[in-house]
Amino acid sequence: MYEAFAVAIVVFLTVGGQELLGFSMLGRPIVIGPLVGLLLGDVKTGLMIGASLETIFMGIVNIGGASAAEPGLASALAVAFAIIMHGGLGVALPLAIPLGIIGLQIKTLIYVAVVGPFASKFDSMAEKGNQKGIVRLHFGLWALQWFLYSLIPFFAMLFGSEATQNVLKMIPTIIVHGLTVAGNVLPAVGMAMLMKILWDKNISAFYFLGFLLVAYLKMPLIAVAVMGTIIAILVAQRDYQLHNMGQKISAKPVVAQTTTETKDEQENDDFFS
Amino acid sequence: MSKFSKDMTKDEKKLMRQMYWRSFTLYSAVTPAKQGASGFEYSMLPFINKFYKKEQDKKEAMVRQMSYFNTNLAMAPFVMGVTASMEKQNSESDDFNAESINAIKTSLMGPLAGIGDSIFWGVLRVIAAGIAISLAKNGNIAAPIIFLLLFNIPVQLVRWYGGQLGYTLGSNYIGELYEKGLINILTKAASIVGLMMVGAMTSNMVKFDLKWNMVLGGKTILKSQEMLNQIFVGILPLTITLLCFWLLKKKNVSINWLILGTIVIAVVLALLGIV
Repeated sequence: MYEAFAVAIVVFLTVGGQELLGFSMLGRPIVIGPLVGLLLGDVKTGLMIGASLETIFMGIVNIGGASAAEPGLASALAVAFAIIMHGGLGVALPLAIPLGIIGLQIKTLIYVAVVGPFASKFDSMAEKGNQKGIVRLHFGLWALQWFLYSLIPFFAMLFGSEATQNVLKMIPTIIVHGLTVAGNVLPAVGMAMLMKILWDKNISAFYFLGFLLVAYLKMPLIAVAVMGTIIAILVAQRDYQLHNMGQKISAKPVVAQTTTETKDEQENDDFFS
Repeated sequence: MSKFSKDMTKDEKKLMRQMYWRSFTLYSAVTPAKQGASGFEYSMLPFINKFYKKEQDKKEAMVRQMSYFNTNLAMAPFVMGVTASMEKQNSESDDFNAESINAIKTSLMGPLAGIGDSIFWGVLRVIAAGIAISLAKNGNIAAPIIFLLLFNIPVQLVRWYGGQLGYTLGSNYIGELYEKGLINILTKAASIVGLMMVGAMTSNMVKFDLKWNMVLGGKTILKSQEMLNQIFVGILPLTITLLCFWLLKKKNVSINWLILGTIVIAVVLALLGIV
């Protein structure tokens, strides 16, 4: 009972809380993991599994309202089950992935079916100038939807822990080993998703530079971040100079009338002179 | 005291603070139809009450600000600042075209969502999470706190100053950045940092070692993982990540299939004793 309550509160305050606090990342696995761990008396496991799940869910973010999974609910339950059953990532992983997908489905359902219909209510309140009503509904809907959402981890913990335990006992060790291996490879999917956002063939070399710095020079990530920032500043400065040069050239009235081809030629002339 | 706010009156500074705090709740009651409309309205109410004296004008402004709104949260105060400055102009002059307020608001939120999502979600969050994960794996309890600080301090600075910038400069500034093409330079620089971090994290976090060794007459004659390490350290994680990227980008394989496939292949390889 205590565990069910604790996990539900964590989901409410982090996954729901970040919606009230400007997507401040409270609902990420790296935060939820240790928090659930703290409440269930095993911070270390929570921290480790939270970090592993963060790498897997790293590519999954809510961009423009579209997402592939809801990592918060998944992390909270997976970490809680792993702690209760004294299992590691091998227990957490097979739970986290499907839970993330189910969590998103339920979140979307609440968003569409529970909150959605109130859009017109907001409009009619605005027409009437009912400011108090708008504010009340604005916060009321927040509380309602995340209360509903937190019921899932509550009942999952209340009834699911024993059932899940029994199922997990039947899984042979070699499969658990395979799942642990999978947990170590899955960050590749997260990285691939980030690359999809950032990749551009003009700057793709920097991906391999980053890889090399860690693989061979064993540089810590913070050092790579600083080095990347330095390179980015240098590149931006050069781009800015080129850009200003380009503007000066195109500002000449003669060039403005010529075709783009000759404009390029002139840029080159200027560049090599 | 920032340089943006030095020309503001005391009342305006107070309004700016209210907008900053209220805009945290932008997506509290997000709906499919209008996204963050109620949060935008909530953030605009102090301005509406201050600028408009007649009840009818207030109601009109409230209806106007309850329109569809969706952008990156870090960028939202900038849009609110621009919008608020236009509401002020509308309240002061009779011939101001009130419809232009929503037009500017709508034209700003698209590009700003794109920039904000790639800089804050794509780059800053990745850097913060990457550093926090490496701390956490070493057992550092402060990891989640460091993660939250690394992400939120820059975001809050952008939110705080962005709002004042938007209010002070009105709607010209972002258009100017666009015309000058400076947005592209900014996006490229941020992407370089992001991509380098993703490369570093690929090496740091994706782990895949072969256990399979060639045994001849009871003696191990070839350790596959050692051999691979001599060719290139981390060649397997790198190849797997690039393969996933290729499947995602060129083949449009969905993430869920990719995750499922990875799990199945890993389990099968474990059963075969390869990993």
